[in-house]
Amino acid sequence: MEADMSWEKEAEELASKRALAQEQGGAESVARQHAKGFLTIRERIDAMLDGGSFQELGGASGDATRDSEGRLIDFKPANFVLGFGMIDGRRCVIGGEDFTLGGGSPNAAGLRKSVYAEELACNYRVPLVRLHQGAGGSVAGAGGSSAGAASKTVGAPVNAVPRFKSVAQALATVPVASAALGAVAGLPAARLVASHFSVMTEASQILVAGPKVVERALDKRQTKEDLGGPDVHARNGVVDNLVEDEAAALSEIRRFLSYLPPNVWELAPCASADDPAGRRAEELIEIVPRNRRKIYDMRRVIDLVLDEGSFFEIGRLYGRGLITGLGRLSGQPVGVLANDCRHLAGSMTEAGARKTRRLIELCDTFHLPVVSLIDEPGFMIGPDAEKAGTIRFGTAAVLAAASSVVPWASVIVRTAHGVAEAAHFGPDGFVVAWPSAKLGAIPVEGGVAAAFGREIAAADDPAAERERLEEIMLARQSVEPRAESFSIHELIDPRDTRPVLCNWIGRIQPLLPRLTGPTSFSIRP
Amino acid sequence: MSMATKVKLDTAGSIWKVLVSQGDSVKKGDTLFIMEIMKMEVPHEAPVDGTISAVHIAEGDEALEEGALAIEIS
Repeated sequence: MEADMSWEKEAEELASKRALAQEQGGAESVARQHAKGFLTIRERIDAMLDGGSFQELGGASGDATRDSEGRLIDFKPANFVLGFGMIDGRRCVIGGEDFTLGGGSPNAAGLRKSVYAEELACNYRVPLVRLHQGAGGSVAGAGGSSAGAASKTVGAPVNAVPRFKSVAQALATVPVASAALGAVAGLPAARLVASHFSVMTEASQILVAGPKVVERALDKRQTKEDLGGPDVHARNGVVDNLVEDEAAALSEIRRFLSYLPPNVWELAPCASADDPAGRRAEELIEIVPRNRRKIYDMRRVIDLVLDEGSFFEIGRLYGRGLITGLGRLSGQPVGVLANDCRHLAGSMTEAGARKTRRLIELCDTFHLPVVSLIDEPGFMIGPDAEKAGTIRFGTAAVLAAASSVVPWASVIVRTAHGVAEAAHFGPDGFVVAWPSAKLGAIPVEGGVAAAFGREIAAADDPAAERERLEEIMLARQSVEPRAESFSIHELIDPRDTRPVLCNWIGRIQPLLPRLTGPTSFSIRP
Repeated sequence: MSMATKVKLDTAGSIWKVLVSQGDSVKKGDTLFIMEIMKMEVPHEAPVDGTISAVHIAEGDEALEEGALAIEIS
């Protein structure tokens, strides 16, 4: 082969760039990453994906330095790794910052790849997985050019598409799941929360800005852990779930995606249903105590009703009066909404309302039916709840339910009171109740105190009078007359809850294919 | 000697009943104290077998924050 007929030299250079890209920030930098207990981005991607399925895009992009004759003498890879891969046999787009290169703060090609991730997922209509550890922009610009070396044209063209438009489009069309696996600040932090599911590890932090920026602006010295560690962001709803380590974070993302379709134009994949639809749960006949002051374990109810082992809880550490998550009934993925009476009697706080609305919007977007197990005493009351703006966030949750587009099945387990009650029923929903159900505008104790305050005070024995009135009102809140008046579809034996819900799942199957496509929301309070 | 196991308040609220005292031995699952919030009783159980080494709450304590240290078991 004659020398001027071959592209051997270029192919060699390409191979050497690809090889250099695999070295990431270099042996020393990778060793530092490992010493802190972190995986590198390439190791994370390999751990997330089915073996050998990663198809990288832009694997040889980065900053090349050449000598006067154009020979490659140095190569600094783009510090965002991006591509396609398979998770449990289903295709996705996956990407993440390379923290071993400039702390993940974007260099030129890295920034382009990072903001391309959402577009790619939208174009191919597959889920997006982001594995974050990195910072946002630098004052020196992408690539950290020195203060003196400015380009002649700066900034994006005036007609450039807004950077976050594709982020918004991804949320409306494909499942997005993200993990915070180290310090995540600025732009990566914004993209972390622009997800349908986000998870952080114990060793991660999420920050609008890090300690140095905070100290300069606010004169406050705080560590990044104090500013944005799990104690802050796993408990305020910034991320959905907190896990011990990176392996657990990846496993939660895998689990989350298993309930979802690849995009809004397709339906969620039904799993094989090993748990019999007709299985009754004996334990449910006595799970709700007759004494209304006693609590019970709603998660146990959920486990006994859904397909065995199928419940995946989302947001356990915030808004704890509400329980939200995904599960399966007869193999069909469903959204699950329930109350936990252990926390503030299961009442809906501002955080609980945000969590409720988030679940409803997730189910509406990806056309998952909603199963609602209700023990709702109402919005949380008192000075703290008023200051938190509970009524606004709570009403937003109520309106989300009222305008939901997917089938709902609601099971009134114990109480269903107040405006907040309405956040647990969808339009044209299937409604059943257990004999333990009590329904009414407000719980009896507060209701009697408010409506009969004068009568109680004037009575010879106020305590006895209060008790007498409470008994009368309690009887009026009984579920039997509602069932007899066809105010609910059925009063059921609690043990039959699973068979009843599985029958409903069968009935709604023909409705689901008609729901596919993008869902839009109007303004909510 | 092993570190004491800390039992923290699982919810905001007040202390309705305290069922153990310093020096009592408890088994995992025994009820240690019962909180009251929003008219509900919220029992707190021992997460481990052991001896009560400190009690930081008393019946009638009000407006406590979630996460406050209640009892130590060693």
